[in-house]
Amino acid sequence: MAMKEPVLLKRVGKMTDSTSVEEYIKYGGFAALQKAVTMDREDILGELDTALLRGRGGAAYPLGRKWRHLYGSTDTPKYIVCNADEGEPGTFKDKLLLEKDPLSIIEGMLIAGYVFGSNDGYIYIRGEYRHIQAVFHQAVSNALAAGFLGNKIMGNDGFDFHIHIVSGGGAYVCGENSALLNSVEGKTGRPRVKPPHLADVGLFLKPTLVNNVESFACVPAVINMGGEAFLQLGTKDGGGTKLICLSGHIKNRGIYEIPLGTPLDEILYSEEYGGGTSTGRPIKFCHFGGQSGPIGTSGQIKGCLYDYGDFWSHKLAVGSGAIVVMDDSVNVVDYITSVMEFFVHESCGKCTPCRLGTTRLLELLQNLQHHKGRPGDLERLEKMLEHITYLSACGLGQSVSVSVNSALTGYRDEFEACIS
Amino acid sequence: MEILIDLQFASEEGYIDKETAAMVAEELHMTETRVYEIVSYYAMLKEKPQAKYVLKICNSSPCHFSRSEEVCLSLEKKLGVPMGKTTDDGLFAYHYIPCVGACDIGPVIKIKDTVFGNLNDEIISVLIDDLRRGKIAV
Repeated sequence: MAMKEPVLLKRVGKMTDSTSVEEYIKYGGFAALQKAVTMDREDILGELDTALLRGRGGAAYPLGRKWRHLYGSTDTPKYIVCNADEGEPGTFKDKLLLEKDPLSIIEGMLIAGYVFGSNDGYIYIRGEYRHIQAVFHQAVSNALAAGFLGNKIMGNDGFDFHIHIVSGGGAYVCGENSALLNSVEGKTGRPRVKPPHLADVGLFLKPTLVNNVESFACVPAVINMGGEAFLQLGTKDGGGTKLICLSGHIKNRGIYEIPLGTPLDEILYSEEYGGGTSTGRPIKFCHFGGQSGPIGTSGQIKGCLYDYGDFWSHKLAVGSGAIVVMDDSVNVVDYITSVMEFFVHESCGKCTPCRLGTTRLLELLQNLQHHKGRPGDLERLEKMLEHITYLSACGLGQSVSVSVNSALTGYRDEFEACIS
Repeated sequence: MEILIDLQFASEEGYIDKETAAMVAEELHMTETRVYEIVSYYAMLKEKPQAKYVLKICNSSPCHFSRSEEVCLSLEKKLGVPMGKTTDDGLFAYHYIPCVGACDIGPVIKIKDTVFGNLNDEIISVLIDDLRRGKIAV
């Protein structure tokens, strides 16, 4: 199933200056915003519901439902926040959108601004993407000059919206929405204890919408083509197209836009996408959706569709869209140890189970790596994973166990071989 | 935090020194402790002087299994210092960092805002020579 017409990347490569409002409009930009301001707000929410656009940051929560929650919140002002703190290893798709089509993100945020009667939007761009922050600044000032940001947008009285750009400082956990808000407020970016939901108590303690870059970029597409058509692009478990990032031992590393529901084999092996391994060896496993996503063995992924529903039924997850491919030269214990090193480095330290637990897990895994495991180690490993999952406050700690457990399920023999 | 990042990028030695921290605290009417809380929390902010070129090697799993270790070996051979140590001339230091979002061109080195990808021994050697001679600016 080849892409007929890209949806998210349709302007990428065509525009000579990605920040130019003129060019953006030439290739269909701001049509959705023009349409949205003539629509009833309820109808916009209805289209988003029908589209079944799932959050593209990783959690896959239906965007329509999230927007409705905020819509129902009576407190004002409401804030619109774009999470551009892309820090998930194996993920580099937001970077592409931020750099090559920043105005589509701005348009998505503007539509949100219109729906919620919000005047202020924030975009939190990871600190490592400094050159992209500059591109985005340019896009914002161009939009401002052209009357698509600021006061009385497109001449509509009462439609005022400003976008503020905030830089991250190199902390993975700030990709967690509540930590991100703390960081925007100038605090150390540690997650908040929830509830309350951010749609009730968010930025500056006001109702706040936080969506991923790709999610915002999808919103104009939904408005333009209508919810039903967007859904048809994907499957009944999630509409639209998805940006995927292929990395690791795959021949054609890079970003691709695929319709949800594309066979995984096609993504991995067809020349149009992955093109098989770069090493000529067979694929051993794929790590999906980022470090906190599951690992799928070659047997498990055979015949799978790249789709939310089909992935869930195979105990996999789409997550951020990352697909890290590893060939059969890689020992899974080595791989998981590398993943755990990342979590140790990035745990913010707020919750003891995560702060100490990840360190203890790493020590145990390193022991296994050196074949110094002792009987009972795997049981201890599983117990610790359970503790961290249940006792951590945020998604980082709670999902440390996902990759390790999936590796244990798929390759228990390799772990057992490390025990003397 | 953004003020601190900008100040650090503008500084000679790539860190927030005591005077700068004190000035920021005074300007923003906060305590120095609060400023240092931010500096020590965020990985990008540094409390100590840095080498002129800090070569940051991504070591998250996609890069780790794309031979990022060999990058370190090449650098050690070329620069003659182990990871985390600065060369005697104060020009170079290198260490691992987590994902920089350039997984499609791993293994990578990041210097300030610039990412150098698809590295091998030879490319690294040329890169270091070019930096030394000021042939590339980062």
